[in-house]
Amino acid sequence: MSEEFKLSRRKFLEKVTVGIGGVLTALFGIPAAIFVVKPVLKKDESSGWMRLGSISKVTPGTPTLFSLKVERETGWITDQDEIMVYVYTEDGRDYAVMSNICTHLACRVRWIEERQEFFCPCHNGVYDKQGTVLAGPPPRPLDRYEFNIENDDIYIKVG
Amino acid sequence: MATRFSNWLDARTGWRNVWDGIFLRKVPKVNWLYTLGSASLFIVVNQVVTGILLTIYYVPTPDHAYDSVQYITTQVALGWLIRGLHHWGASAMVVLVFLHMLRVIFLGSYKFPREVTWFSGVVLFLVVIGFGFTGYLLPWDEKAYWATTVGTQIAGTPPLIGDLALRILRGGEELTAMTLARFFGIHIWVLPAILLGLVGLHVYLVIKHGISTTPKREENSHE
Ligand code: HEM
Ligand code: FES
Repeated sequence: MSEEFKLSRRKFLEKVTVGIGGVLTALFGIPAAIFVVKPVLKKDESSGWMRLGSISKVTPGTPTLFSLKVERETGWITDQDEIMVYVYTEDGRDYAVMSNICTHLACRVRWIEERQEFFCPCHNGVYDKQGTVLAGPPPRPLDRYEFNIENDDIYIKVG
Repeated sequence: MATRFSNWLDARTGWRNVWDGIFLRKVPKVNWLYTLGSASLFIVVNQVVTGILLTIYYVPTPDHAYDSVQYITTQVALGWLIRGLHHWGASAMVVLVFLHMLRVIFLGSYKFPREVTWFSGVVLFLVVIGFGFTGYLLPWDEKAYWATTVGTQIAGTPPLIGDLALRILRGGEELTAMTLARFFGIHIWVLPAILLGLVGLHVYLVIKHGISTTPKREENSHE
């Protein structure tokens, strides 16, 4: 065996080793990434149109709180989750259906009757009855739901 | 750029010495049976990777163990693959480690100066059996439950210490949530810690001594 041959054999084996190592890493790495990431992309809440409640409960001029039970499937567990929604009307004709989730960092806002404002306790975000930001860090008004009023019932689109 | 970085790193860590020590060994003139140890090592890596992945979804309580395993197998993307690799890898590991041990016995490789390599191997074998025993319970189905009932019952048979042994294994008198929790803890923390430590020692010794030569037919048959 010549010296030259030995060297090229070594280089060859080095390349083969690195090559096989790379293939194996990919063979484990790619399925691993899919296994970890893919399931989180699935929506885990029941969605569609749902009945929120009777529209006659809404007092004009005051945001009224409704709650809605939805099924949430987290992995192998199915349980009930509550969505809180404020419905506001000035005149009984035009309605605003607002989420109670603060647009800043997702704390829950509360209607403060005495101050006639929505208040978020986390970083003092303040919104008016229509959900417009009055003070604090929230970057945009409270999110609105798509809704539909049939007879006396108000339906909202979830998910 | 890459060379400059590896030089920089080498000046501060001396990693090249370690690297060369591991990879720049003389290629031994032996046979394929000498690859059984490396094959075992590969399965160890497989078990570690897929086992870690399984813990992302698996929950070791009687309420959730079975459902979470079903969820992994039927719902999670490639869950069947990851679980399958871990499941079949477990069996392959026992078989390969056992064959590796047989080759070490039949070729007399356990002799001086490799006794410590052998001893560490003996403990590794027991650890591998321990992995199989504790892992079998984790899916928490009927087969797992009764197999472990039987297995732990056996530990209860020796006089004097039997009852205590059984209680320690089960975490009480019966097979319960306590059993599942401790089997899980042993399976994913205790045994891997021992395994990785011993594999490190084992492979270090193999490198230190170099691989043994195959026994020669006649005393004076030198090449
Ligand atoms: C997780 C389990 C194990 C792993 C990962 C492992 C890994 C290895 C590797 C990579 C080698 C060098 C290549 C070879 O000889 O095949 C080796 C050699 C050796 N193993 Fe193991 N082994 C394991 C279990 C065992 C067991 C159960 C025994 C015996 C009870 C054992 C005894 C030895 C001995 C004595 C050597 C030196 C052989 C020689 O120098 O020719 N090993 N092992
Ligand atoms: S989360 Fe509401 S103000 Fe920050």
